[in-house]
Amino acid sequence: MKRIHTDILVIGGGATGTSVLRDLAMRGFRCLLVERRDLAYGTTGRYHGLLHSGARYAVKDPQAARECFEENQVLRRIMPQCIEDTGGFYVLTPFDDPAYVPQFLNGCRNAGIPVEDISIYNMLAEEPLLDPRIQGCFHLPDASADSFLAANLTAESAREHGAEVLTYHEVDRLLIANNSDSGQSIVAGAVCHDLIKNEDVQIDASLVVNACGAWAGKIAFTAGIHLIMIPGKGTMLALNHRLVNTVISRCRPPSDGDILVPAHTVAVIGTTDVRVADPDHLSIESWEIRLMVDEGEKIIPGFKQHRILRAWAGVRPLIQGADPSDDRDISRAFVLLDHAERDGVEGLLTISGGKWTTSRKMAQVTVDKVCQKLKVDRPCRTHLEVLPSHERKSAAHPFLGDRLKKIEQNSTYGELICECELVSMQDVEQSIIASNAATLDDIRRATRLGMGPCQGTFCTFRAAGLLQSLRHLEADQVNLSLRDFLHERWKGNLPILSGQQLRQARFNELVYVNVLNAPGLPGDRISRLAADDYSRSDTDAPAPPRADISPTVIPVPLAQSEPQDVIVIGAGFSGLITAWQAGLRGSKTTVLTRGWGTPYWSSGCIDIIGFHPPDHVETADSPREILTRLVISSPNHPYSLAGIAALESAIQSFQALCDASNYPFHGSLDANILLPTSLGTLRPTCMVPSTMVSGDASQHSPMLIVGFDRFYDFFPGLIASNLNAQGILAADIILDLPSLRKLKFITGTVLATLFDDPTFRQEVIDALKPRLGKVERIGFPAVLGLHSPMEVLEHLQTSLGLRLFEIPGLPPSIPGIRLQNMLVAAIQRQHGVVYTGMPVTKVSFDGKSIHSVWSEAAARQTPHHAKTFILATGGILGGGISVADNAYAQETVFDLQVTTPEHRFDWFQPEFLAPQGHPIFRIGVSTDAEFCPLDDTGGIIYFNLHVVGNALANCDPLRERSLEGIALASGFRVAELIAERSQQ
Amino acid sequence: MSSSASLISQKLLQGRNFSSPEFTLDQCIKCTICTTACPVAAVTDLFPGPKYEGPQAARFRVPKQVSPDHSVDYCSGCRVCNLVCPSGVKIAELNARARAAWVSSGNLPFRLRLRNNLLARPELLGKLAHPFSPLANRLLSLNSIRHFTEFALRIHHSAPLPRFSPQSFTSWFRSRPNPLSSAKKVVYFHGCSTEYYEPRVGRAAVQVLELNGFEVIVPPQNCCGLPLLSNGEFHAAHRYHHSNVNHLVEYARQGIPILGTSTSCTLTLKEEAPELLDMTDEATRLVAENTYDFNEFLLNLYDQGSLNLNLHPIPLILGYHVPCQYRAHRLGTPGFELLNLIPGLSIVDSHATCCGIAGTYGYKAEKYAISMAVGKPLFNFLTGDLKNSPVVVCDSETCRWQITHATGKPAIHPVELLAKSYGLTIEDALI
Repeated sequence: MKRIHTDILVIGGGATGTSVLRDLAMRGFRCLLVERRDLAYGTTGRYHGLLHSGARYAVKDPQAARECFEENQVLRRIMPQCIEDTGGFYVLTPFDDPAYVPQFLNGCRNAGIPVEDISIYNMLAEEPLLDPRIQGCFHLPDASADSFLAANLTAESAREHGAEVLTYHEVDRLLIANNSDSGQSIVAGAVCHDLIKNEDVQIDASLVVNACGAWAGKIAFTAGIHLIMIPGKGTMLALNHRLVNTVISRCRPPSDGDILVPAHTVAVIGTTDVRVADPDHLSIESWEIRLMVDEGEKIIPGFKQHRILRAWAGVRPLIQGADPSDDRDISRAFVLLDHAERDGVEGLLTISGGKWTTSRKMAQVTVDKVCQKLKVDRPCRTHLEVLPSHERKSAAHPFLGDRLKKIEQNSTYGELICECELVSMQDVEQSIIASNAATLDDIRRATRLGMGPCQGTFCTFRAAGLLQSLRHLEADQVNLSLRDFLHERWKGNLPILSGQQLRQARFNELVYVNVLNAPGLPGDRISRLAADDYSRSDTDAPAPPRADISPTVIPVPLAQSEPQDVIVIGAGFSGLITAWQAGLRGSKTTVLTRGWGTPYWSSGCIDIIGFHPPDHVETADSPREILTRLVISSPNHPYSLAGIAALESAIQSFQALCDASNYPFHGSLDANILLPTSLGTLRPTCMVPSTMVSGDASQHSPMLIVGFDRFYDFFPGLIASNLNAQGILAADIILDLPSLRKLKFITGTVLATLFDDPTFRQEVIDALKPRLGKVERIGFPAVLGLHSPMEVLEHLQTSLGLRLFEIPGLPPSIPGIRLQNMLVAAIQRQHGVVYTGMPVTKVSFDGKSIHSVWSEAAARQTPHHAKTFILATGGILGGGISVADNAYAQETVFDLQVTTPEHRFDWFQPEFLAPQGHPIFRIGVSTDAEFCPLDDTGGIIYFNLHVVGNALANCDPLRERSLEGIALASGFRVAELIAERSQQ
Repeated sequence: MSSSASLISQKLLQGRNFSSPEFTLDQCIKCTICTTACPVAAVTDLFPGPKYEGPQAARFRVPKQVSPDHSVDYCSGCRVCNLVCPSGVKIAELNARARAAWVSSGNLPFRLRLRNNLLARPELLGKLAHPFSPLANRLLSLNSIRHFTEFALRIHHSAPLPRFSPQSFTSWFRSRPNPLSSAKKVVYFHGCSTEYYEPRVGRAAVQVLELNGFEVIVPPQNCCGLPLLSNGEFHAAHRYHHSNVNHLVEYARQGIPILGTSTSCTLTLKEEAPELLDMTDEATRLVAENTYDFNEFLLNLYDQGSLNLNLHPIPLILGYHVPCQYRAHRLGTPGFELLNLIPGLSIVDSHATCCGIAGTYGYKAEKYAISMAVGKPLFNFLTGDLKNSPVVVCDSETCRWQITHATGKPAIHPVELLAKSYGLTIEDALI
């Protein structure tokens, strides 16, 4: 076993542990810290980020209040770069007892905390979203703190003073020796497991400080010490944007959900307090989410309508002293235990309790004790010296716009890896190289990568690519890290997914499952370094019964002009395909849509069915074979309703359009083709454009994957390493072209536009030709021209003398846009029109026949009268179906019947990438064989409304890989039916 | 708390606007469609695109801190992003507000702010120059003067400045013989361009309306304030809009429709000003709800069967460009549909997103090249198969000037074709 010697071992890399380490090092002790994951992985990184003024404890715990205020002042001095001086408002809402106010003010005064009375007028001027019915407001010196940065900088300072930090070292047990003189047990270090190298390490130390918060009891137990912890779980929610710029607390005795903290770009509301048996097994209950939202509503009316990004839970590190009935009643002042005195075990101190705000003070007291035990007199200096700052030359208070300012000053918006949190390539590079990040989650803690609204849609992929290209890790390791990160983001989303965040999750599924096929990544699925999960509660209340809400109905408008033949609502694949097919049959067609949709995000191939249902694990070799079985086993599946014949005719018609548009597609229902993705996985699809066909993985010819410098949506090294891991020979190269170097940003769209230009193609050819090596085909990102891809392909193939193929990846999808442009052009040729920005929100009907739909417009709504209407608004992803936070699911235009799984618990799989898919996404409108929507008794709701594409129930097009296929089959069949009906 | 105070609180609560631009940023799922469709980001790397400027940067902006971003000033405000967003994020409005914050915090150099304020006040320029229009036109057509204004004021020397008309629209309107009196009344909002530069459009509009039996009222009015809004001068824009609402609200109360031939003026009355300036009062709302684009109004008449269809053939093939500000009304293409009623006339839609001028954007020296690059697909369309068409049809004045500047073709409003088809004689008609 590897052995390390130190004098003092600190266990736990949270606020307390790092502060103890820093204090020890500053007083000249040789010391070392071990942390089982990354710094601030535990409770420190999971609290709401509040620098207490102390006012919260002013009434009940004056000692804690005073300590807090003193430390508040110290921390502002020594870590200004971690503290945003937002100030705090204590507000007396109509729900709070005014009798608390005098006690509160008195308590603050006694604890020496400055309070200032603020008029409601001024309060609203500062924070306009607060409830105007608030009756009292007091300003206190609360602030918002970055606990990740603080832990890192504290550790950094400790290192500067000679300390050592070992992350991903999990303590297995304390080492116990016996004092030969007294027979007393002595703790002599610890045995750890190095999770990265997967090996045990023995650390010898003459003194151990147990600073691992809620886990302190577990550690002490390995030395035979009985330490009763009272882990109090607190759940918090992050909202999509700040809402407030001041810390808001309720002026009442501390309770649940009464603190709202602006933290960087988000607002955090917390918290609950629930006693749990084990800090490693937490669950986030739906009542906690509801409670927090309800309490938020009392501070900010309309709170419920704001988007919630995620939920997480931390565990309060309290040691049982008295026998309290409720955790909040225990003194929040901390506890330092010398186990020699308490348990007769030498060499072990436990420091626990307290708050983030008091962590420095706790360290000071602990190290004072260390000095006393070691009989040395070294004064504490941690309150005198400012923490180092790698970001800024001078440590300064941060403000929200800092990142934006930095990017704007240097115009580096093209270097963004995480677009939501404005994390640049340099930030990620620094955390990988300088800070030695081992996982994407480590990069997140250092940079806020993936913590914004999309929860990692783009940056997960980009950071994984950078990790691979900077560290040259094995494919397995990068893949695991990517999986872990997707999963870590998912677990914080699970408790809160509804509304737009549910749509976001579906979008991420489209990217990572449908387009990139991340479930197909080679290598292990189980990771030692993965963040732990929240357990899932199954005590969930069932979804409420469907409310009887009818769509907004407007009286049938007068119109003397002729109705349109067909109005299609939605312009994703299904809407455009249906409009085109209806137009082919002579209908005058109008497409009304809120905006563009699926084509922009898709692979640009035509997926029919890629995996064997219902598990989607085994690749389908022949779509026809699967379909033949599917139409029998699942008679309500859209393919079964449309029939295979309709699909086959649709494909023929589609191919004819592609040929006519000089963008030919290859393939047939008889066989799927496996094509590489931008992750280097293989993705089964049925019909592929000429620009991709040479990527066929069943051929064995070696390939060269070509990327472009500073194009962060495509990492040839990542692709090649994964392809090689699957036995496909691939090399990689990155081109650094002069014409790209001068651009401030390089996106897929920029490259596609450049590829349309022959001079740029020549530049690529000249750079690539001498470096081809012994390959037989070349893979490019899917950016080979937007307007004339065939010309681009031909030019490159002829000049390079090799076959070329495109590899689809992150949105926007250039091949998808080509398909959209092709379909829109076809519709326009048939004198149809496509209107974007005109979402349909209301309807006028006459019995079971829709007369008109109304679209949103400036100042009023506009009616559109037609004979037939097509609903092609998509599912949760397209915005055709929305699920409210009370689990009520709604089809968004006509409020057609949609059914969700009864228990919210059943909506999701625990794993984001679980191939079976999440049951909630099978939600949709049930129809008859003519795609007319049905009510719950099986009756037709509207005879002249047909539903197509993703809005249909009984399928999960993203998991089945059937998105385009279902759009083709249902769109074609419905167009056929409209034509048949009009002839009758 | 007194009951009056609680009443005020109730009012404040009701005033919360959950469709405000800031609120819609929560709807963004980062899908990048807006940035992919943005005509400006497609031609310059000075503008990183609507996703970055709008829902992303908005999360980093705090009211009281100096707005740190300047790239948002490259947003042309064409609103293509709003129209393609599948989630309903009001990106263009987020950008406009960010620009206003940036301007009001004094980040814009004095000279540029002066320039913007000049460009943003077509009414003031019109009033000042109109009495001397021949001289003003002569001066502004001199190359040396234009180069000097570029040097002094950063107004690009090639940008398409319009010519002042010798007679203003309102003086024609007041002096014309035999105006129609009728129980059916409409209010005409002429806007600055019709008043000072293209009164022919207003003359056509008034005569077409009278031919359809409407009495036309032209109340006192001022600039709609859009140029100020798009230059981030919100305080001034607020004054303008407030004054217009005062002039117009009585007509709105009586249910008299307010029509405009300038699509950007009508959009400002309908939506832009109330939304960007947070004007939620009843008068503003009433004016907005009673404002109609000219084509929209006529097409409604057609739908109700009351449009005069006594139209003479115009045997021409003409290119038609729907301005981005017109698309932002979200009405479809009423101009196109209306023109299709004219026998013999064949109208070809450009399907181009934007001509590039975007109000005052293309006049600015630092943005002129971007503006011309944005409009290139449109110019290519108009000078390709349609090169022999005598005129181009376009609803918005600055777009018409830009089109004429870039293609050399005269450009007209649809109402001018309609007037011709009705057999009306319009003074200074281009067709």
